[in-house]
Amino acid sequence: MKSGPNAKASANKHDGCSPPNAGAKRVIAVLDLVIRVAAFIGTLASGVAMGTADQRLPFSTRFVHFKAVYDDLPALTFFVVANGVVSAYLLILGMPLSLLHFIRSGATKSRVILIILDTVMLALLTAAASAAASIIYLAHEGNSSANWLAICRQFRFFCRRMTGSLIGSLGAMTLLAALIILSGVAISRRRR
Amino acid sequence: MKDSTSVDIPETSADARGEAPLFTGKSSSGGGIIYAHKPSSAQKKGLAIFDLILRISAIVTCLAAATAMGTAEQTLPFTTQFFKFDAGYDDMPSFLVFVICFGIASCYFLLSLPFSIVSIIRPQASGPRILLVIFDTMVLGLTMASAAAATSIVYLAHNGNSSTNWLGVCQQFTDFCQATSGAVVGSFIAVAIIALMLILSGASLRKH
Repeated sequence: MKSGPNAKASANKHDGCSPPNAGAKRVIAVLDLVIRVAAFIGTLASGVAMGTADQRLPFSTRFVHFKAVYDDLPALTFFVVANGVVSAYLLILGMPLSLLHFIRSGATKSRVILIILDTVMLALLTAAASAAASIIYLAHEGNSSANWLAICRQFRFFCRRMTGSLIGSLGAMTLLAALIILSGVAISRRRR
Repeated sequence: MKDSTSVDIPETSADARGEAPLFTGKSSSGGGIIYAHKPSSAQKKGLAIFDLILRISAIVTCLAAATAMGTAEQTLPFTTQFFKFDAGYDDMPSFLVFVICFGIASCYFLLSLPFSIVSIIRPQASGPRILLVIFDTMVLGLTMASAAAATSIVYLAHNGNSSTNWLGVCQQFTDFCQATSGAVVGSFIAVAIIALMLILSGASLRKH
């Protein structure tokens, strides 16, 4: 049986948060949700932009191709797939869990799971974006040592689409990194 | 007259080392034993020693990858007026970034050895560990990105691409190709080591 002062102290602790704590928790949860929605839109848009980029040049010869689609280059395929995976993760798992944390400043376990999965998705997105970036750089500049011609001169529309998609994906990566830091802050605050 | 059975017990030395079950007089339920599931001092020390070993192997692996890529160079014995026939790592920006990033990573791991040693000597101090976790995460991202970029170029060098009319150069530059492929494989191992290091640091930092 609890003694008087001890009971009062524990009652105050489990009472619900004192106002400054509750305000900060709400702000963090709202920020988390907003950034997650923005990252979802970013990755979805990047994946769709790269996936629907298609350009056919109006002339052709017997031996040389004049069509550019994302699945001609394996790095771009990986990029589209990775963006799809990350946006699916954010839609199915990330945003519902974030909403849950907003409604109930709830358990630490789901926050930890969210951080771990966010880190894995960030790693995947980083690898895909870097691989695609090196290919897109090649497409812009070519390489004289390997005698690889810059294809951007011919496939201008495809090139612009690719580059824009990559930039959107880099922005989504930054947002994911911010999400991880925010979740870390939220977890460390709960320990009080 | 108090109903509680709270007992005041001074902190034992085992408690200070983090090895005793938490048995304080300040618990809210009036003096029950609360077993802490946080890792004991011995476990943290073991994890820290393993972390040091991983760190040393990460230095070696990153340095090996950077060196293998940096010394990859080949000049073919014939030339024509318009085409170049030599290849070095600085001809491809991805390879240049690869060498620079893995050089930075191996220097970072060298400089982080003192912090790792400190966390072996004082297993309960979480300051050095947190610092290492932050910087390890940054280095993981850096190395992973440069490894991925170099991989796509190496794949292109091996296979070429028919849609963009880029020929695979590995048929001519066999030595250069082998060296860069080996460097990329080594970089994957380095990234795996760094990721394992990060997971272990996280495991030893937990408090519950």
